[in-house]
Amino acid sequence: MSETSKFTIDILSVAKEKAQSIISEAEAETKRALEEAKGDTSRQVSDILRNAQTEAKAVRRRLLSEVRHRLELREQEEKGKMMSEVLEVTRKRVSDFAKNETQAKYQSYLAGLIGDAISQLGLDEAQVHLNEADQKRVDKSSLEHEVTKTLKMPVKVEWARKPIEAMGGAIISSTDGRTRIINTLDERFEALEPRLLIEAGKLLFGD
Amino acid sequence: MSGIETVKIIVDAEKEAAQMLEQAKVRAAAIRKELSSHINVEREQMLAAAKNEADAIVKRAEEESKVETEKYREDATQKLKEMITRASARKVAAVDKLVSIVIEGKA
Repeated sequence: MSETSKFTIDILSVAKEKAQSIISEAEAETKRALEEAKGDTSRQVSDILRNAQTEAKAVRRRLLSEVRHRLELREQEEKGKMMSEVLEVTRKRVSDFAKNETQAKYQSYLAGLIGDAISQLGLDEAQVHLNEADQKRVDKSSLEHEVTKTLKMPVKVEWARKPIEAMGGAIISSTDGRTRIINTLDERFEALEPRLLIEAGKLLFGD
Repeated sequence: MSGIETVKIIVDAEKEAAQMLEQAKVRAAAIRKELSSHINVEREQMLAAAKNEADAIVKRAEEESKVETEKYREDATQKLKEMITRASARKVAAVDKLVSIVIEGKA
C-alpha cells in the first residue's frame, strides 16, 4: 500500500471516528435531556394530582360546612320561633292572670307586690297606682288591710286616681312621688325576659 | 503516480471526510430535534392525562360530597323535626313554669 493510500485511509478513519463521536454525543445528550424532562414532567404531574387531592378535600369541607351552616341557621331559627311563641303565650297568660284569676287570689298577690315595694322603699305612707280594671275590681280597703297584714305594721295607702297602662300589678311611690317602685306585671315580665328566654331554652330543648 | 495525482487523492479524501463530519452534524441535529419534539409530545400527553385525572378527582369529590351532605342534611332535618316535636310537647309545661317565674319569682 502506498503512502498516499495510507494517508487517505487515516484521514477518513479519523473523520469517521469524529462523526461517530458527534452522533454519540448527541445521543447521550438527548438521553440525559429525556431523563431530565421525564423527571420534570413527573414532578409536575405529582403537583397537579396533589393539588387536585387538596382541592377535593376543600370541596368536601366546603360543601359539608355550607350544609351544616344552613342547618344550624335553620335550627336556631326554629328554636327562636318556638321560644318567641312560648314567651308570647306566657305574656298572654300573665295578662290573663290579672284579668281572670279569682279576685281573692289576685288581690292577695297584689298585696304582696305592694307590700314588698313599700318595705323596700321603707315607707309608712305610700301612693299606689293601679290599672283601670284593677281600680274597679279591687276592694281597696280590704287590699290595704292585706298590705298592712303582709308588712306586719300599720301603713297608710293613698290610691292614685289616674290609672296606669299595665297588664296588672302596681306602681308604688312615696306620697311626694320622689321615689317609686314599678311592680307591674309588664315590668316584671320585661325585667325577667332574659332569664325567661334562658329558661324557655332549657325547658324546651334541654335533655 | 505523479505529484498532482497524489495531491488530488488527498484533497478528495479530505472532502469526503468533511462531508462525513457534515452528515454527522446534520444527523446529531436531527436526533436533538426529534428528541425535543418527542419530549414535548410526551410531556403534553402526561400533563393532559394528569389534568384529566385531577379534574376527575375533584369531580368525584364533588359527587361524593353531594351524596354525603345530602345524607347529613336528611339526618339533621330528621333530628330537627324530632327536636321540634319534643319541644312542642313541652310547650305547655314551659309556659306554666315561665308564668310562675313572672308571677312568683323575683325580678
